[in-house]
Amino acid sequence: MNDNGTLLSVEDISTHFFTEEGVVKAVQDVSFAIMKGQTFALVGESGCGKSVTALSIMRLVPEPQGKIVSGEIVFEGKKLLSLSEKGMRQIRGNEIAMIFQEPMTSLNPVYTVGNQIVEAIKLHQKKSTSQAWSDAVEMLRRVGISDPQQRVREYPHQMSGGMRQRIMIAMAVSCEPVLLIADEPTTALDVTIQAQILDLLDRLQEQNGMSILLITHDLGVVAERADDVAVMYASRIVEVAESRQLFAEPLHPYTQGLLESLPRLGITAGRLQTISGTVPEPLHFPAGCKFHPRCPVGREDRRCQTVEPKLREVRPGRCVACWYARDRRQRAEDRRQSPESAAVDEG
Amino acid sequence: MSKQTQAKSNWGTSYGELVWREFAKSRLSIVCLSFIVFLFAVAILAPFLANDKPFVIRIDGQLHFPIFRNLGASDYCIFLAAVVGCSQLLLIKRNHRHVDPSIRGAALWRQICISSSIILIGVILLFVFVPRRLDATDYKAMVACRQATDAIFAPIPYGYARTNLKLREQPPSWEHLLGTDDVGSDTLCRLIHGSRISLSVGFVAVGISTVIGILVGAILGYFGGKVDFIGMRIVEIMMAIPAFFLIITIVAFFARSLLNIMIIIGITSWTGNARFIRAEFFKLRKQDFVQAAVSLGLPLRSILFRHMLPNGIAPVLVNATFGIAGAIFIEAALSFLGFGVAPPTPSWGQMLSLGVSTTGRFLWWLTLFPGLAIFFTVLAYNLVGEALRDAIDPKLRTR
Amino acid sequence: MTGKVAVPATAKRKRRKNIEQGISNVEAKVPNMVNTNDYLLRVAGLKTYFPVKKGLLQRTIGYVKAVDGISFGIQAGQTLGLVGESGCGKTTVARSIVRLVPATEGSVVFDQTDVLSADRVKLRELRRQISLIFQDPFGSLNPRMTVGNIIGESLKVQKKAAGSELIERVTALLSKVGLSPDHINRYPHEFSGGQRQRISVARALALEPKLVICDEPVSALDVSIQSQILNLLKDLQDEFGLTFLFIAHDLAVVEFFCDIVAVMYMGKIVERAAKEELYRNPLHPYTRALMSSIPQVERDPSPSRRGRRTTLGGEVPSALNPPAGCAFHPRCPLAEGVCLKQMPVLEEKGDYEGHFVACWKCQKKLIIDNG
Repeated sequence: MNDNGTLLSVEDISTHFFTEEGVVKAVQDVSFAIMKGQTFALVGESGCGKSVTALSIMRLVPEPQGKIVSGEIVFEGKKLLSLSEKGMRQIRGNEIAMIFQEPMTSLNPVYTVGNQIVEAIKLHQKKSTSQAWSDAVEMLRRVGISDPQQRVREYPHQMSGGMRQRIMIAMAVSCEPVLLIADEPTTALDVTIQAQILDLLDRLQEQNGMSILLITHDLGVVAERADDVAVMYASRIVEVAESRQLFAEPLHPYTQGLLESLPRLGITAGRLQTISGTVPEPLHFPAGCKFHPRCPVGREDRRCQTVEPKLREVRPGRCVACWYARDRRQRAEDRRQSPESAAVDEG
Repeated sequence: MSKQTQAKSNWGTSYGELVWREFAKSRLSIVCLSFIVFLFAVAILAPFLANDKPFVIRIDGQLHFPIFRNLGASDYCIFLAAVVGCSQLLLIKRNHRHVDPSIRGAALWRQICISSSIILIGVILLFVFVPRRLDATDYKAMVACRQATDAIFAPIPYGYARTNLKLREQPPSWEHLLGTDDVGSDTLCRLIHGSRISLSVGFVAVGISTVIGILVGAILGYFGGKVDFIGMRIVEIMMAIPAFFLIITIVAFFARSLLNIMIIIGITSWTGNARFIRAEFFKLRKQDFVQAAVSLGLPLRSILFRHMLPNGIAPVLVNATFGIAGAIFIEAALSFLGFGVAPPTPSWGQMLSLGVSTTGRFLWWLTLFPGLAIFFTVLAYNLVGEALRDAIDPKLRTR
Repeated sequence: MTGKVAVPATAKRKRRKNIEQGISNVEAKVPNMVNTNDYLLRVAGLKTYFPVKKGLLQRTIGYVKAVDGISFGIQAGQTLGLVGESGCGKTTVARSIVRLVPATEGSVVFDQTDVLSADRVKLRELRRQISLIFQDPFGSLNPRMTVGNIIGESLKVQKKAAGSELIERVTALLSKVGLSPDHINRYPHEFSGGQRQRISVARALALEPKLVICDEPVSALDVSIQSQILNLLKDLQDEFGLTFLFIAHDLAVVEFFCDIVAVMYMGKIVERAAKEELYRNPLHPYTRALMSSIPQVERDPSPSRRGRRTTLGGEVPSALNPPAGCAFHPRCPLAEGVCLKQMPVLEEKGDYEGHFVACWKCQKKLIIDNG
């Protein structure tokens, strides 16, 4: 990857939570890089560590249980993990902003939305109160809220979920960050509103030229909005690729399984393909490749059961953490040789 | 056999076990719980710990057991309840290892019914058949006069009702570890016997208020609407009256017996519980598993008692723990003001009030020791309640 | 659950036939046109209003029309999908049918029995034949009961089984839904979301119901688990000839699972048709917008769909004061004149029989000669 175009590079980050039951390895050796102006998606099922990765970048991992135990995060040439808390505060909200999943709880209910946006603006920029207010109104207009003069004086509970998410976005982009981390920004919203919010993010990205780290579980959103994708499973990245290539030709069996198990418009055949079993508990990860108990190949293979594969470049631009990275055609051949039943054996 | 052990390994962890596990994580709560258990042991064994009657004594060559002859019906009742209670606890533990989880609830219910009927019948029988004796013999004097030999006394060889005007208002000494009060009774002995009053007031009063509270709260919460509207107004009126003055007023009309005080505290403090249960029922009624039970066509009885009550009762139990502390406090305050149990029955609050004697002297040991006893008991109950509240935190239910 | 229900093959065939025919008219105003006996469940003109109360005396100041005149019918062995965004009243429809929520008006006829006027005994009997599967796998199981009790309670209460027979039947149900019989003595908190949903399914099937109402059964689950549950439901339908009312917000899931699809918006059905017809030829602008809003995974490395969609502007209006005329008009790209004043009725439009749309702007039914 081209170094001078890189905005953020995450290098072998591991974040662990030290609980009474044991050490929860929420993120293990995660590496990826986000280019300037790019949308990078981190996709995975609940509990796979994608949110913790985002919190690690912001250095907001809840202490003292959570700790970034190794790795480095380089943002515009600055090593974030060795910055002081004060230096980090300069970056948070100013250069890297974050929006969360729950638009209902991430706004303070006792202040008007205007107050909250103004506070965010004044914290990072030297502006007079009146100027900040007019900026806030302008921000609301930019995120597509009609009648912003009126809305700026309203309280969060007077607004719908979609509107609140717009407010959150307005707050996040008010300081023109170069990186916006969006943690499941549309999960709590209806599809029609989701489309509006995603369009809004697209538009803002075009105007500001900021990069977006989009964290989601929705493969559809990723396919439509992301340039590059990293797929996470059980606290590791299992596959990184350009989004179109990934969906056209997934190489990791987990990615393949996910794509095949997705009900899609127009596909109404008798049964859905499934990935058997469930996501392993973070305290009881299986040895070897963490996906092997659910993997058609790994279930029988000794190497998969004992040695965990590292993320490696199997072909230009395609990184996969699998001993047997195969594309669809090869896998179909495998299947013809040993017919694999899609039986469900959970738990 | 091997099949059975295999089956057990498949048994899940019940909610009770989860709560206990969470509770036991904190060392402080275990210490507090042990302190309460210790207090209970002291209260139950009070006649054996502090008594002016000896266990064994030889008078005229004949062995006598005056301590046992002098135990009254209420003492035997307490022993019976303690034995049944302990065996019930052991049974619960045994249930968890040997009874299939799916029938554990029914088994427990049956056991509790049997236990409580044993206690009830036992209490009635004991009060009917155990005679009241009054043995005013001063065995210590007999030993001193060499009329009797081979006497084995309790560790604290004083009776709580025994007065000795020669020894009044003595500060702590080796003879009387915590000193004596205005009529020359041993403070430590009275403290030990006083624990019975404090603990039983806490338990019975809270028991009464919890039962009333659950019944009222369940009715209001389940039916809702007009019943709830009127009921809540009544509850609010009850809450608006300062409870302590209400209690003082009522106590003034009735005989100063322990039972009266317990009942009065019980019937004036149920409002909090009623509100708790009502709120829980409102919340539970909308929960999916209750809706599922309704939609499966289960009868009302099952919905109320199998699905709603067990899930709504936890906060009430926590509240009850705080309630016990509160009741102990109220009893102490009543006794301090002279509205408590009639002397010579000892009570911590009443002892506290003797700290300033009629002669105007400040007897610090009469203030300090009962004060500490009240303080630590109330503190222990509150801490246990708090730990319990943390342990039943709803995060347990989802994880 | 040992004896297999004897009708799967016929039910399947019947279902296929229904799809071919499309659903026929079940409007409340023309009840005579259809033989009501064909339908296992018939809902006509169902309205459920929630009063909005305010003030000290709890005076009613208005109504939230959660369900506002809904009609549909489900034939035995069929699956009807009810789609809509959150707050459109689809869950209230489900709960009104089993009277978990009192309906304001209309009729619900299940198996030739009127549900809404049934007395207590009758209602309990009806509820045994209609079971529900809920969305939230964490809230729908009693945390204090073992899996065995959760599944077996209804059997026990109905005196259908007891003792070892009960355990046998619960075990059979567990293995039917893909759980191990060892799980019988565990508690819900020991299971993952997908497994809990399997327990819910087992509970719903315990009394061998005729109709299963699934209220967003997979929307709280991860993708890989979602497909497992959908497959399970489909297998069970084939095996027992079950009839489903399937409520979801995900059009792709509904397309996979259902035979007939009804799209709801603000308490009303705006479009209803057989699945193939609806997805091939969506007529209502809301349905079209919904379909276009779903982010799609396209497996071919074609240029991304960015910008190709038609995003719907605005938001769902407040149910307390719905807009006059067509409830969708503030967001509708086609709205004009009559849309703002008059509420459209659900009428048969489109190319195929049984394609109902409530829209002024949709084309009238085309008379085509289909031989």
